[in-house]
Amino acid sequence: MNPDSPKLQRLQSELETEQQQETTQETAQTATAREFATPEEMLRHDAAQTVVPPEIQTRLADSVQQEPAPNRSPSWWQKLFG
Amino acid sequence: MAAAVIEPPSQRKRPAPVPLEVGAPEFAALYQAHSRAIFYLCLRMLNDPTKAEDATHDVFVKAWRHLDQFQGKSSWRTWLYRIAINHCRNLQQGWAERHVFPTADEFVLQDTVPDPASPFRVLEIKELGERIRRTLDNLPPEYRLLLLLVADQELSYEQVGALTEQTADAVRGKLHRARKAFAIEFEKTA
Repeated sequence: MNPDSPKLQRLQSELETEQQQETTQETAQTATAREFATPEEMLRHDAAQTVVPPEIQTRLADSVQQEPAPNRSPSWWQKLFG
Repeated sequence: MAAAVIEPPSQRKRPAPVPLEVGAPEFAALYQAHSRAIFYLCLRMLNDPTKAEDATHDVFVKAWRHLDQFQGKSSWRTWLYRIAINHCRNLQQGWAERHVFPTADEFVLQDTVPDPASPFRVLEIKELGERIRRTLDNLPPEYRLLLLLVADQELSYEQVGALTEQTADAVRGKLHRARKAFAIEFEKTA
């Protein structure tokens, strides 16, 4: 077959496209696949992906405002930062 | 003479909430540092995002009320975890009375136990949360809590032991069985 024939060129083009698609799919699969050595590692990953709903902080601010001020020992916040 | 108008309590306007960072900046820092860990524990113990949201709020309100009781003998993280565990257990109590969970002793490790040393391969990471939810839901509560606490790298085995009322050695022993149980249940969710 003449290597310059339109039929052969089309076949080559289709083959290249197919190979590119396969490579793309493999890359995508690699990107989503993951290995975890232990359940704890998996749970840590899951926890890191978990978004704390911002509403909690808003509600908490409101609740704290309604509460009497805590009987602060002189150093509770120093324990926090100390 | 104009009569004074007294609004009934239900119609009185509450003051606009002051952001936590402004009203209680030190407490806001405490919340920022630990809210993810507490929310995640509540989420996986209660198995319900809405309940977990309420529980996290309630845990921090309890913490605010009892700040003066924090002795500094444990870490803040451990103190907050203790409040959260007790709170979630109280919430679960009514539900648990209507359901039968296998205890850790009753949980039968099948003959075809997946090797806990072999890695867990997850192809679809987006489904991971749901698979973890189903896996933990089928574990004895003791194993579930143990794995969740050990997963927190801020806690030592001694601190996990203190939170679960056992020695660090007992934690190590049970952790091995908890991993096996997790592996069995995780395989079922594939």
